[in-house]
Amino acid sequence: MRLLLTGAAYQLRLLRRSPGDLIALATTPLLTVVFLAVVEHNGRPDLAVNAVLAPALIALWGMSLLIAGDMIDAERATGTFEVLVATPARLWPLFTGRVLVVTVVSLLGLVESWLVATVVFGVPLRVAHPGLFAVTLLATVLAMSGHAGVMTSLFVLSRSARIFQNSLSFPFYVLGGVLVPVALLPAFLRPVSTVVFLSWSADLLRDSLRPAAPDSPVLRVGMVLGLGAAGAALSWWLLSVVLRRARRTGSIALGG
Amino acid sequence: MVSTWWRVGRASAANAFADLVVIYTPASWVFGWLVRVLAQVAFYALIGTLLESPAQQRFLLVGGAVTVMVTEVLLVCASTAWERQAGTLPLLVVAPVSMVPVFLGRSVQWIPSALATSSIALFALGPVFGVGWTVGTALLAWAVLVLTCLATYLFGFAVSMLVLGFIELRNLVGAVVTAITTAISGAVVPVDFWPAGVRFVAHLLPATYGLDALHRLSREEITFTILSNAGLLVLVGVGWLGIGASLLAALVGLGRRRGTLEFP
Repeated sequence: MRLLLTGAAYQLRLLRRSPGDLIALATTPLLTVVFLAVVEHNGRPDLAVNAVLAPALIALWGMSLLIAGDMIDAERATGTFEVLVATPARLWPLFTGRVLVVTVVSLLGLVESWLVATVVFGVPLRVAHPGLFAVTLLATVLAMSGHAGVMTSLFVLSRSARIFQNSLSFPFYVLGGVLVPVALLPAFLRPVSTVVFLSWSADLLRDSLRPAAPDSPVLRVGMVLGLGAAGAALSWWLLSVVLRRARRTGSIALGG
Repeated sequence: MVSTWWRVGRASAANAFADLVVIYTPASWVFGWLVRVLAQVAFYALIGTLLESPAQQRFLLVGGAVTVMVTEVLLVCASTAWERQAGTLPLLVVAPVSMVPVFLGRSVQWIPSALATSSIALFALGPVFGVGWTVGTALLAWAVLVLTCLATYLFGFAVSMLVLGFIELRNLVGAVVTAITTAISGAVVPVDFWPAGVRFVAHLLPATYGLDALHRLSREEITFTILSNAGLLVLVGVGWLGIGASLLAALVGLGRRRGTLEFP
């Protein structure tokens, strides 16, 4: 736990000095304007919920993957990765703490999109099921942290994977149903969407804002947490592979 | 002067394409970048499905295709900043040639890539979402796309001159300008949706004229307005080129006076 908190505090200090890492939060209000404009222009106030949640989920996903993907490389660039590996402390909780902070900070996107909806468009959104909303948000943050940790190691393991870092955005926004629910996607995409935790989170968050009682909320929160746990387990395993390989090949400082 | 500018621009473009080759292999461009771009266009077109409106689906697909083009062309902000990061600005200042062709050529790698992705989005993904093209409308649409891309590049050139002074904000500025363009230029809602002040800003953006022409062509409306939009694209593009050149001269002048050319 101490390592987790140390990583979290360090990442918080880093974020305060890296405006470039906050791009997702800078574009969130504008994306909210884009989606709410479409909804208002088409006279569909019932879809305001989708328009407000989508930019927040995009900020969560985009910011977490961007920063987490660069973590080990950034340590290498500053020459601190060797020292980190040499310390007796375990790295996984340290990196997990850092990823967790990024994910939590990216939730500011939700505040931003909510404010744009209220102040700019005069769309007052009420949370019909606040308990479920809070639990789903918490589960989403945990699941996102697990998945972002996968990217931390994956981009180090495979240099070619980094080229695809940019590509992990919109394909997942479609598959994750962040704006358009998975039920409206072409049938061949739906099975893939089931294993993307975002699709469960997005649906449940939307349902928790609407007055109707959501179907099977416990099962759906369980799916978000289950997929998040699978991501976290994969991230732990991948980090151990990275460290083993780096020690074996003597490439801790060099990368690759 | 023209031949010197052409020679310098070509040499700078060689740098630009060398960057592109480092960034992408053909496979990573196709399976990474192109897939991402098509998913982005589909993401916007699917909003039409959510709205249960085939007309909106078509409108949003055209908007999405132009938006991805703008996204890529505005990477000029990042690649211009790379030049200053490389520390070449003082050398360029003392060179006996204008820096305008240097920076105009420095980011041209994004033009063919942006044209390819947006063309594939319009003409291959378009029919999947109900946007049909005849040979005539497709040819005109492609010509409009090329003009929009070039004019947007000149707009990006001007924006990147501002970024040269704040290179740590290169990605942030590119992303914000892209998002503003998406919101107000007629990519997602008609420009008329916005209040007068926003409409005024929209009409300074090349994408606004390109989108108006492309929306008309996607509805098979071949009118004089398309020609006037093309003329306005040229005019707005040249205007931004002038602004960009002035900003560059101002930045260099300031840098020389303060001795900060090498240290932004």
